Amino acid sequence: MLDQPKLETLLWAFGTIVFIFIGSILVAQIARAVARGFRLSPAEQLKVYWGFLFASPWIIGFVIFVVGPSLASLYYSFTDYKLGKDINWVGLDNYRSLINAEGRDGRNFNRAMFNSLYYAIVGVPLQIFAALSMALILNTTVRGVRLFRLIFYMPVILAGGPAILLAWRYMLADNGGFVNLTLGNLAESFFLFNWLYRGFIFLVEGFNGFFIGLTNGNPTGPLTFFLPAFVAFLIIISLIRGEWGDNKREIARRAIEMIGFLVGGLLVAAGLMAEPIDISWTFIWSLMVLAGWAINTHKGHATRAQLWQWLGLGLLIVGFILTLITPVPEGVEDATLGYLTAIAFASLPILFTLVQKIDHRVFLVFGALLVGIILIRVAPHQLLNGKADVLLRYMTFQSAVVQPDNLDYLNTEYIASYMDAAWLFFILIATLLGVILTKSAKLRQYTLIGATVFFGVVMINSAIDGVTYFRAYDHIAQAEGGSNFHFARFNAATSTVPDMSSNPKWLTNDLWVKPSLILINMWSAGAGMLIFLAALKGVPSSLYEAAEVDGANRVQRFFRITLPMISPAMFYNVVIGMIGALQTFEAVYILRNNDTETSVMSAAYYLFQRTFLQANIGEGSAISWLLAVIIVALTVMQFRYSNWVHYE
Amino acid sequence: MSTATSVHVTESNEAIPVNNPRFGIFKRSYSMAGFGKFMIYVALISASAFFLFPLVWMTGTSLKTVEEVGQRQLNLFPEVAQWGNYTKMLNDPAFQLAYGNSVFVVIIVLLGTVTSICLVVYAFSRLEWRGRNIVFTMMMATLMLPAQATLVPQYVLFHQLRWVPGFNPIAIPGFFAGGAALVFLLRQFMATLPKDLDEAAMIDGANPLQIWWYVIMPLSRPAVATITVFLFVGQWNNLFMPLIYLKDASLTTMPVYVAGKYNLQESPIPWQNIMTASVLFVIPVMIVFILTQRYFTEGIALTGTKG
Repeated sequence: MLDQPKLETLLWAFGTIVFIFIGSILVAQIARAVARGFRLSPAEQLKVYWGFLFASPWIIGFVIFVVGPSLASLYYSFTDYKLGKDINWVGLDNYRSLINAEGRDGRNFNRAMFNSLYYAIVGVPLQIFAALSMALILNTTVRGVRLFRLIFYMPVILAGGPAILLAWRYMLADNGGFVNLTLGNLAESFFLFNWLYRGFIFLVEGFNGFFIGLTNGNPTGPLTFFLPAFVAFLIIISLIRGEWGDNKREIARRAIEMIGFLVGGLLVAAGLMAEPIDISWTFIWSLMVLAGWAINTHKGHATRAQLWQWLGLGLLIVGFILTLITPVPEGVEDATLGYLTAIAFASLPILFTLVQKIDHRVFLVFGALLVGIILIRVAPHQLLNGKADVLLRYMTFQSAVVQPDNLDYLNTEYIASYMDAAWLFFILIATLLGVILTKSAKLRQYTLIGATVFFGVVMINSAIDGVTYFRAYDHIAQAEGGSNFHFARFNAATSTVPDMSSNPKWLTNDLWVKPSLILINMWSAGAGMLIFLAALKGVPSSLYEAAEVDGANRVQRFFRITLPMISPAMFYNVVIGMIGALQTFEAVYILRNNDTETSVMSAAYYLFQRTFLQANIGEGSAISWLLAVIIVALTVMQFRYSNWVHYE
Repeated sequence: MSTATSVHVTESNEAIPVNNPRFGIFKRSYSMAGFGKFMIYVALISASAFFLFPLVWMTGTSLKTVEEVGQRQLNLFPEVAQWGNYTKMLNDPAFQLAYGNSVFVVIIVLLGTVTSICLVVYAFSRLEWRGRNIVFTMMMATLMLPAQATLVPQYVLFHQLRWVPGFNPIAIPGFFAGGAALVFLLRQFMATLPKDLDEAAMIDGANPLQIWWYVIMPLSRPAVATITVFLFVGQWNNLFMPLIYLKDASLTTMPVYVAGKYNLQESPIPWQNIMTASVLFVIPVMIVFILTQRYFTEGIALTGTKG
């Protein structure tokens, strides 16, 4: 029964118990000695002794398995360590190649991140829709609800293991698989379903072809401007509707904070990419500024928060001054100016905190510093290199691309980096600040309407211009015989309308493998369902009764009462879903094949492949740190903003 | 709808306490409309069919012959159930080895983790000592740290200890109360037990170790059961850790065995065998889940994690 390895493990387990036992007593004795050193009473000393005695299994494990490994991994991430080989210090090379998508491995990492993004923006909403629907039909008083809840939740238990995923794999076979046969039979029987079915195939293949084309590493062109403009448009629109009050002020404040956080993150990433200086000064300052920002918005005990704020303010000012007095290094002009712009953005939320809490004179000093930086460092670059007139062109409905027939121009000269578009964030933050600070309601309303028009125009025009750019780029690339351009897969997928014989190639085609994974995730969305159920039970029925008296119908009650009341659960599920999109592993491992691997893999799967199949510890550590930073940022966001989502 | 439905309606109305605020709205909106109730049943049952289908399909396939598996998949169940698939699988030495390994790993992990978590949580929830809040805050901070952060260096550590390949990397860390989410769950429960219990036992001359074993542990059984169930399901399903640590054929656990059966590249793919192994793999989890589903739903409502 028990063979060699099992006996060995039993022996080790016994050894571990003895080790923990002795270690615990040791830790407890040390703790008591320290307590004696602090002159605690003998009774207190005894309490400390027992407390540490019980807690020390965790303390010892924490040191051995968390603190030590984390530090080691931080060190490895700066080396080219491979198991069994020498360790060489390579500085930020691992991070740089990962973020810049250099080489095959860097490109694959970027693909994995884009796949995770796909799961986050397409998969998570669908999962939440499934979970919420399940919760709503379970939140009734019909008989047998407990049994149904059991059935609805069961897939969560099963989807964690490989067995049911293999069953899905079998059911999703292209030809003769159950799912396709059923769908095909239904399509033959009902012409309406047939239309829907073919429309679905067309839509999925077109969208995934488009997504693959976009994430192939081709320049994004004017589309870079679309996303910030879109975000800004949404934020401003949400402020225009309804009365202006403290809650709106709070939304604007949080929006500024979040943008600062986002741009601060971009800034650190830009610092990581800095060439050719290793661990550049700008990187360190950008970290300082980000830390200053984070500390400054720290919440908690009032006086302590103020202390932290001053600390953050100090960090920021030192970072500012250091940035101001540093000459721009040769050859890194573009990137450096990028950081400076970002520093300016990242610091704006602090300005606002200051206006509310601290002496106004600090604001003046601070604003002067900021204006100085923008004037000295950012403005010349932006104005001289023809970046600033992009917005001007968009406002007059022109294209920003001046030579649409020149591939060189499209590929190398016209590169819209995210920093060009960061101007939009700057304008957004300025608008929000103005709106918050102004006392005149009329002025505020005009500002908001003006900003809406502005961002709306930029949004629409950049989308149109983006498509124009892609078309021009693809036209030339195709003429030159390239196959790796934006719309290549999209054109191929949408050139023919699917006929009766076509069916989804669920797991064998890279256009379909991501939707397959999302389908299985929707099937196992029961965990989110339980969270929604708990939230639904917490909605006071008096609200519904009052609404019913006022004549609200069921749809109105859902959108006006239920949805706002369960928004914390919604937000929680979104964040958990985004983290899950990065961490999903089992499903990818079972569903992939050699052709579809790069288009289904998640970040966690890529980490597994790179570290444990290819034994590249150095790069694996860098990946795991990048992942950890993203996940911790998401979690922090969850903690900070969850109390704010639900506003009455 | 029919009278039968309306009878149900009145019955369920009586079953619900009228003064329970939770049901107020639904009593009004659903009890009056039999059709609405009918639609809800339709939705519930069709959704259940969707959720149960892969499981049923798996069971059906496991009873088919090779020829039936190769055909177009229209029949849910085979013409003649091939129970021989199961006897063959149960007598397969590789299967027996993998099953035994899985059971072994799960037992060791459960024993180590549950015991150490109970000890640690006792210190965090019942004892009062200087430094407790600092240590507990540190533990809660590890909740935010994703598993990926320490995965790589732990692998290096175990590699240097010459534990790879072997069960140790999976079995041993459990003894150090890993899993902050479970600690949090148990603490939430233990902290609600009345303080008088400890004080009474203390006056009787019991030391904290005795209080832990004789007073607190017996009262904490439901919560301990909850974390045990979570741990069991997580460990039984775990594919990732065995993939990296149990690379030797003699160490294979069930998840890797089942996944590996597909990767053999046989043609035609022996789906009936894969599904037989899958059914045998899923059975313990299903039994545990059905028997303890109350713990699952409560545990998730409490911590919001899925273990």
